[in-house]
Amino acid sequence: MTRFRRTLRQTLTIARRDFVATVFTPIFLLFLFAPILMGSFGAIGGMGAASMSDGAADKSRLVAIVPATIAPAMIREDDRLRRLFRGDERPPELSIATPSADPAAQARATIDEKQYDIDAVLYGPLDRPTVLLAAPGRYTGNYLEALAQATVAAIRPGATMVTATRITAARTRTSIGGQHQSGFFAVFGIFFLTLFLAGQVVGTMAEERNNKVIEVLAAAVPLEAVFFGKLVGMFGVAVLFVAFWGTVVGQLTTLLPPAAAAAFGDLYPAVGAPMFAVLFAAYFSMAYLLLGSVFLGIGAQASTMREIQMLSLPITLVQVGMFALASAAARLPGSWIATVAEVFPLSSPFAMAGRAANSPELWPHALAILWQGVWVVLFITIGARLFRRGVLQSGSARPFWRRRAKA
Amino acid sequence: MSDEWAVTAAGLVKRFEDRRVVDGVDLMVPRGAIYGVLGPNGAGKTTTLRMLLGIIEPDEGQRTLLGEDNPRDAGDRVGYLPEERGLYPGMKAREAVAFMGALRGLPWREGRKRAAELLEEAGLGHAVDEKVRKLSKGMAQIVQLLGSVVHRPDLIVLDEPFSGLDPVNQEKLEALIVAERDRGATILFSTHVMAHAERLCDRLAIIAGGKRRFEGTVDDARATLPAHVHYLPHRPDPAIARLLPPDAVAVGNGWRFMLPASGIEPLLVPLIEAGHGIAGLTVERPSLHEAFVRIVGNIGHAPRAETIA
Repeated sequence: MTRFRRTLRQTLTIARRDFVATVFTPIFLLFLFAPILMGSFGAIGGMGAASMSDGAADKSRLVAIVPATIAPAMIREDDRLRRLFRGDERPPELSIATPSADPAAQARATIDEKQYDIDAVLYGPLDRPTVLLAAPGRYTGNYLEALAQATVAAIRPGATMVTATRITAARTRTSIGGQHQSGFFAVFGIFFLTLFLAGQVVGTMAEERNNKVIEVLAAAVPLEAVFFGKLVGMFGVAVLFVAFWGTVVGQLTTLLPPAAAAAFGDLYPAVGAPMFAVLFAAYFSMAYLLLGSVFLGIGAQASTMREIQMLSLPITLVQVGMFALASAAARLPGSWIATVAEVFPLSSPFAMAGRAANSPELWPHALAILWQGVWVVLFITIGARLFRRGVLQSGSARPFWRRRAKA
Repeated sequence: MSDEWAVTAAGLVKRFEDRRVVDGVDLMVPRGAIYGVLGPNGAGKTTTLRMLLGIIEPDEGQRTLLGEDNPRDAGDRVGYLPEERGLYPGMKAREAVAFMGALRGLPWREGRKRAAELLEEAGLGHAVDEKVRKLSKGMAQIVQLLGSVVHRPDLIVLDEPFSGLDPVNQEKLEALIVAERDRGATILFSTHVMAHAERLCDRLAIIAGGKRRFEGTVDDARATLPAHVHYLPHRPDPAIARLLPPDAVAVGNGWRFMLPASGIEPLLVPLIEAGHGIAGLTVERPSLHEAFVRIVGNIGHAPRAETIA
């Protein structure tokens, strides 16, 4: 048997033990149903979602392609009509564009504008206008039609209004608002899950230390395999947890009223929904393994439960910090802060999940998962070496710099 | 060389802080032997065993385990009972034994089957499905011991295996060690209780103060001290002293002196011819305990430095 296969077998033996020891206990049920008690997360998520939703509204626009002579009247009427709506019901801001030789083609090109999500474009003569909609049934089409009528009435009092022609032209790209919402959903979702689950890993080595089992393990198995086995075992527990709640939430969404279900339809990840789901799962795994490997290495140095409990605050702070960094990256795709969040190992899975929502390119994800995997191995190796040196006292008697100084 | 020796160590050194707790230990453990590592508390026995097994790395020196330079490469052929016993309290006895076998490459199914058999043989058949936390300390120790042999290893390393066991279980453990040797395994164990070593060991090493002070058979160790003769004449007579070696001292009605290098026979003829006769004559060979005390002598015991978990 090769050394790799032996190590793999030993890793899985440890993982199996930890999985069984965790799942087949009454305490696990308490853990499994803990989310019911966690209403506070709903509040946090709600605030974040509201923030993202506001961001999405900021990115929406209406466009009227009208001659410059009509523009001032239309702006005045827009200002007047807009006041009739309550704050959160007001239509998106209006932009005026000067007609080109082919207003229809111009309108279609406008719908695909990259800087904003264009909800609807009005073009053609105001008494027989055409409204091009980004999606069918948008109330913004009604608003543009009413605006055209009001503008005609203002310019030529008593003029007869002809009903506008409506055309729907789906965007050739996903909506920016939908991308941002998807980005937040991904970042928050992974944060939420890892906050719940990755912190568990911190105390797992304490069991071996307290029961003196560690020497049996250390004699039989490389410490790296012990560490990785424990991480994989606890990851299995996390997957079980996610599968359970994923199924529950999935079933609950079928019971949602159509309006609430439509809100989920506003999620438009740039890579497409199926790939987004795959990448979400991949980045959740990597976030768990990265944070878990760090927490495992740190927790293994703690010798008492009190020390482990003391670690819970810094661990939570690290996770919240990574969430904040990745949230900023999701709001500002392509910015320097996004690049930092994508490259820094502990925030990389969060930020890259956000990127999957905002950018259709796939190759950066392959690179990122590889990069994150390297760091998992690195963290495990460092954790195992620190444990060997600090706890097993199997290192050089003196640090190398002191040995050199003495020499 | 690797066929002949199960374990070799040359010049093993381990420092904790600036203190050499193991200071150049050499060991050669023949295959198929029961080999004892003896020493007082804090002599460096456990640290030496940990280095041999690759749990900790030596600062200097080389070692081989079943012919492998890297002890990890021989891992599946080794069984180990550490000094500080440790089991998962939530595991059933059968699972605990199978788990330790699985760590060494024994498939779970086979491990469970063998575990049940071994527990039955050890008189723990009733505890096969008991959780470890419900077992007595001695029973848990037997469970752990069985876990170190369930995969039928070529080398079994036992660190102070008798400590904590009652006399009945100590006897069972001795029988198990002999049975494993008879199966073909090499047994390397540490102890500071001489009686077990005296009964079991084919060869032994005595370590004190981090250094190896003796290596050889039990008889070799005992031979480091002369035997004593206890002679009882028919009648007490101070004149007998002239016919005995100079170190002879009166003890009750008899005499006690070191066995001369030339043997006892040259002394007996003059005693009989002088009419003192022989009412009793005993040659007392020194015990391993006495040899150990003499070898270890006043070597300072290093304070225990190695801590694990």
